[in-house]
Amino acid sequence: MIRVTRTLISSAFSVWLATTIAFFALRILPGDALQAQLSMSGASQAVIATRRAALGLEASSLTQYIRYLQQLTQGDLGVSLVSGERVTDALLRNLPPTITLALSAGTTAGVLGIVLGIVSASGCGRLSATTRALTALSLSVPIYWSGIVAIFLFSVQLSWLPASGTGSVVHLILPVSLLAFHTAGSIARVAQASISTAAQADFARTARAKGLREKQIIAHHVLRVGLLPVVSTAALQFGFLFSGAVVTESMFVRPGIGRLLLDAVIKQDYPVVQGVVLISASAYALVIAITNVLNAHLDPRISL
Amino acid sequence: MSIQKAVKTLLVVFAVTALNACLPENSAFRGASSQNRLIYGLTLEPSGFDPHIHRSSELGIPLRQVYDTLVYRDPNTKAFVPGLATEWSVSGDGLVYTFKLREDVTFHDGTAFNAQAVAANLDRIVDPATGSQRAVFMLGPYAGCEVVDDYTIRIVLERPYAALLDTLSQVYLGIASPSALNAYSTARYQFHQVGTGPFTFVELIPGQRILLRRNNAYTWGPPFYKPAGDNSIEEIEFRFYTDPSTRVLALESGEVHVMGEILPTDARLLAGNSAIQLLPVNVPGQPTQFLINTTRFPTDNRAVRQALLFGTNRNAIIDAIFQRFSPVAWGPLAANTLYYNPALNGAYSYDIAQAQALLASVGFADSNADGILDINGVDLEVNVVVPPWGLIPQIAELLQDQWRIIGVRAVLTPVPTFPALQQVVQSGAYNLVAFDTAGLDPVFLNDFFLSTGSLNWTGFTSQELDTVLTQAASAADESTRQVLYNRAQQIIMEEALLLPIRDYVNLNASRAQVQQLAFDPYGWFPLLNNAVFSGTGS
Repeated sequence: MIRVTRTLISSAFSVWLATTIAFFALRILPGDALQAQLSMSGASQAVIATRRAALGLEASSLTQYIRYLQQLTQGDLGVSLVSGERVTDALLRNLPPTITLALSAGTTAGVLGIVLGIVSASGCGRLSATTRALTALSLSVPIYWSGIVAIFLFSVQLSWLPASGTGSVVHLILPVSLLAFHTAGSIARVAQASISTAAQADFARTARAKGLREKQIIAHHVLRVGLLPVVSTAALQFGFLFSGAVVTESMFVRPGIGRLLLDAVIKQDYPVVQGVVLISASAYALVIAITNVLNAHLDPRISL
Repeated sequence: MSIQKAVKTLLVVFAVTALNACLPENSAFRGASSQNRLIYGLTLEPSGFDPHIHRSSELGIPLRQVYDTLVYRDPNTKAFVPGLATEWSVSGDGLVYTFKLREDVTFHDGTAFNAQAVAANLDRIVDPATGSQRAVFMLGPYAGCEVVDDYTIRIVLERPYAALLDTLSQVYLGIASPSALNAYSTARYQFHQVGTGPFTFVELIPGQRILLRRNNAYTWGPPFYKPAGDNSIEEIEFRFYTDPSTRVLALESGEVHVMGEILPTDARLLAGNSAIQLLPVNVPGQPTQFLINTTRFPTDNRAVRQALLFGTNRNAIIDAIFQRFSPVAWGPLAANTLYYNPALNGAYSYDIAQAQALLASVGFADSNADGILDINGVDLEVNVVVPPWGLIPQIAELLQDQWRIIGVRAVLTPVPTFPALQQVVQSGAYNLVAFDTAGLDPVFLNDFFLSTGSLNWTGFTSQELDTVLTQAASAADESTRQVLYNRAQQIIMEEALLLPIRDYVNLNASRAQVQQLAFDPYGWFPLLNNAVFSGTGS
């Protein structure tokens, strides 16, 4: 129990650190969303100053930060500087599509990555070479390029799948496959390496010496040990999944946290950016914490 | 891979493609899912959709169909024509505008339209609690309004403001149902908008779509609106294509019927596709331009400013970056802006010899033979502020190359946002800065070229220009305004206060079956009332 508490405390610290860095980093650039909108409408400096003061934007960064923390303790994430909408509302609206995308892509990537890893590690000739090539492709090609190619092939040329929008499972196929393919690469790499190592370990040799068949050795002995590092890698891919969602959501015209973040960053809508950073840092910290606990359970050699 | 295998693979790919060619064009997910539904691709998702509050141009594209305005501008003649107001008059001192309103208009929610409704809208826009980011500034020196009777309203100004009708014709001052405005909070109204226009607002799902449906009761449109027929658009769905690289793909795959702001290079590729038609729309206002700082060395010297203009090959820029989809700009106004001065056509045409002569005439010479001219040991170097939008970075790079030929070194200062650009401008450490604004009435020139203008980034002050611009903005008579604006444009270019590059062109494209898609005179907003599908559906 103490171990779990300690993990939670360190997670909370990471979240605080991430939001604080985001808070001050955003304010390195001059101005904000409101100032940009008003100056482009020809508002006078006096009018802009009054409007900004009303939202507390004229105060020093430190004062704003203290107020932000105070609001945060009351569960208030502020309002968007452009739309006037509550940040909580914007987040709640955009979370479900991103969770759908991330979970589907994450699961697919996990399965795909492990399968690719096992096949690559099995070292059986051509098949293994193909999977290794796929892994290399997954890791080396940028997602916005493969995305355009996929849209061109499957939507424009073949007309099999819609390239944009939401509404049905069909709309999920392209974005999920794409995101999953690029997430699977690292999982496959780690799986391949650790399975290969495990397959040459002493316990595997012992099993072979006992006369067990190779399939049995892999399934019952090697995978149990070999897949352990895959769990941590898969958890770390959560971060990639999120940054991938930013690109994927824009490319496939899907609503979601990634697109919300991109828009808010471009427009300097600070409260929205802070809200997204808080949510995604919390989610990431939570996943890492769960992985740590899970790993300790799976592998008695690890202590928290 | 063996040759046999390669052939097999190729055969499979071929078979799949052939099979696909046999499938009906109209797959379930394609464009028009219901009868006569138009799918319209927007280029960015505005963070807010309330026309009275928010300022993006994208919000006007859907909402121009939802709201009527007191007056309209005819897309062809650009003249003001009746909208919700049947007639209007301006008092002799230019301070009071009186509008007679239509009596047969009903909002989409059944509320009757009258003078009280107009007053409620104006009150809302100027209420500080509304936090208007654009509309309130468009009302200029608005002092208040007065309901004379149920169908007559007066707008009173603090001082004459010739642009009032122009702004009243824009969607940001569209008239919303007062009952709907009352029913929802300021932040929530944008999800439940109610106007009197040819289309009703069905839903707004942020990040996903805006859906509009035809208002069958609509009979009070401006004279250029045609009554709906069998092939008219019944429903319009707007989607947000924020990633420029996927816009053309969506159009090619048939997922959208109309797409705004195509990249010029993509438009060039589409030109050969018979299923798609290009709809370039010239946007009135300022051209893509660089304002030149007259208060800093070396551009404080008029000969240097003129040399930069002569040394710029605008045709080369338009060929390379805009794929010839834009006309060359010659002055402070795009050619289709009101009161444009055609006498400026051809001013400062590319002329290296002239540029070099001008620079030599004020003492610049390459004394250290490094390819850059200098005077008293100081190099001829200009600092160019480069914002990331409107292909400005690409233009600036070409300028850098072109000016090297006349011995000028251009240093580019990229700025990521508008406030960052403002910061550099306020510091004064710039020679040229790219910025422009759109609009049909050249009254916006006052912000840029009056000595006291809020955007007077050239730092130029002139008694004559001040007088001419002030009079032009408030003069009621069109021919007087033309004379005054002609003179203003002439002064601005004689002094070489800016480097015009090209008239802004909004490159739209649509599927070929969408016909009679017209744009309002401001160049951004489509008038979808008249659009039809040729033939059957999609």
